Amino acid sequence: MSRIRLVKEQASPLVPVLAALPVCACMAILGLPALGNSTATAFRALFFAACMIWIVPLALLQRALWRRDVAWLPSALALLAASYAMSVLNALLGQRLEIGLGLADSYHWNELVRGLDGCWLPMIAFCAIHAVAVYYLSLQRAQLRLAQALAHARDAELRALRLQVNPHFLFNSLNAVSALVSAGAGRDANRMLASVADFLRATLAHDGRHEHALAEELALTDAYLDIEKARLGERLQLNMKAGPDLLDAAVPYLVLQPLAENAIRHGIAPLSAPGRLDIRVERAGAGLLIEVVNDGLRPDSATAADGTGNGSGIGLANVAERLRHLYGDAQSIEAGWRADGRFQVRLTLPLRRVAGATAATHRADPVTPAARIAA
Amino acid sequence: MSRPIRVAIVDDEPLARLALRTRLAQRAGIELVAEYADGDSAAGGLAAVRPDLVFVDIDMPGKTGLEVLAGLPRAARPMAILLTAHDGFALQAFALAAIDYLLKPVDDERFEEALERARRAFPYRCADVAPPVGPPATEWTRTFTVRIGNRIVLVDAAEVERIEADGDYATLHAQGKTYLVRERLQALALRLDPALFQRVHRSSIVRLDRVVELRSLTNRDALLRLRDGTLLRASRTYMPALTQALAQRQPFIQPNSPSVI
Repeated sequence: MSRIRLVKEQASPLVPVLAALPVCACMAILGLPALGNSTATAFRALFFAACMIWIVPLALLQRALWRRDVAWLPSALALLAASYAMSVLNALLGQRLEIGLGLADSYHWNELVRGLDGCWLPMIAFCAIHAVAVYYLSLQRAQLRLAQALAHARDAELRALRLQVNPHFLFNSLNAVSALVSAGAGRDANRMLASVADFLRATLAHDGRHEHALAEELALTDAYLDIEKARLGERLQLNMKAGPDLLDAAVPYLVLQPLAENAIRHGIAPLSAPGRLDIRVERAGAGLLIEVVNDGLRPDSATAADGTGNGSGIGLANVAERLRHLYGDAQSIEAGWRADGRFQVRLTLPLRRVAGATAATHRADPVTPAARIAA
Repeated sequence: MSRPIRVAIVDDEPLARLALRTRLAQRAGIELVAEYADGDSAAGGLAAVRPDLVFVDIDMPGKTGLEVLAGLPRAARPMAILLTAHDGFALQAFALAAIDYLLKPVDDERFEEALERARRAFPYRCADVAPPVGPPATEWTRTFTVRIGNRIVLVDAAEVERIEADGDYATLHAQGKTYLVRERLQALALRLDPALFQRVHRSSIVRLDRVVELRSLTNRDALLRLRDGTLLRASRTYMPALTQALAQRQPFIQPNSPSVI
């Protein structure tokens, strides 16, 4: 049933024309030996032209049957009957030509159904080729559509996962600004607003792709950390480092920022003493290693050992889910408390460059043609 | 400076004009002479009033801020500080020789810095005020005085890799150690040799020879990687000066420098 429904969708008039081509070619080649004989050539030409004309109503009939979801057996019978009738009419035309050429003086009704193969077989062949071609095309189209649907579904899921990460921080920041204004610290409020604007500009510059350059992610995370630094002051100590030649590496959009947010919200913010957050990006073989380590209060319960027991579960699970969607088995993420009492998240991704990275660097940076500055 | 700097404001939003007016009212040596709420009235008004300095919003109904400035004859063009809520105009702004380019919302440090730039440029732009005499090149800070408890420590400027803003103070990063200086980053920026140090962000100054990688970002900011792997954001408003300074440095450092991996 689904096959017929798929066939119904396609309506290109080019398909029957293309299906007729091999049939015509065969008929023409079979007619070649008769070229010397003018009478035989005339008959061949008549049959050829007649077949060509019959193919039009035959193709229309075939399409009408598909469109009405007629099952294959009745369709085949109907087509066979129709093409048989057409062949008989062809034979009649042949006899008319015989009379015209003076080879016969009247119609021979008893011979009408003899020697139909020259006409009926090509038409059956045409119907078969037409059916196969249409079926193949619709199958291809269905597969394409299925692939697109899967891609859309994956895209939507990633989008949804991505959006969960962001907005609550905005309200926290606005709240902090409001507090600063209430306290009369206009200067700090202004500084914080500028940082929030920086972060928004960084996120708004994003074009909706699921991956961007590591440099973009680090800058975005840094803009976010500026806000947290304004909020926490001395209590937040930052250290963000990267190995050489990694800034063009492709990473998922907003992969690091939620980890940094977790580290602060669940690790450093609850501490009374200043806490340190270390973000380190390194090359690890053929992969990219991103490490986020923060001070924090290790919970007593044993369930916290896997990193899910201290409230960081949602952000971390979200990042893990997105990594799995994007890279399958080529990624890994692990989180837990280290022996030195700090919480650590390590993720590895396949190391690839973002597309058009060098071009982007050149365009945005006309003064220094090379992005790298020799040191 | 014998006379105040005459300032005009061009912005279509009343609150934005209020913010500028309030900030300007707190400064000495500034006289607000005109305000315009759209590009068209500004185009005529600026030509008649001839202020020394103008704060211009770029996105306005009618003529944009850039069009207003470009429409004035070069000789009659005041010093300009451009403001915009979103980016994309930095290069055009600098083509028009704007004094500075600010992103809204503007924080106080950044505003003061822009005004300071205008103050410094003022004597050169204005024929009836004599430029200050003196050799400025020799006055750059060579050592920082840092108080650690009861001790006073001198930190050589040549050892400082970067300086980070820390509220009203600044943190010097030198050879793996940090020192707190009781001075604002913006004040420090003015005392450092621009051939060696560059302001790259509201909250950081970097020593140019520490920069090993510069990656432009889609929002026109950039990310810098220093020799020790430290990452620093460079704001787009500092980018033209930074790229120029780095380009000028290159011939001097390349011959005896280790090659990039």
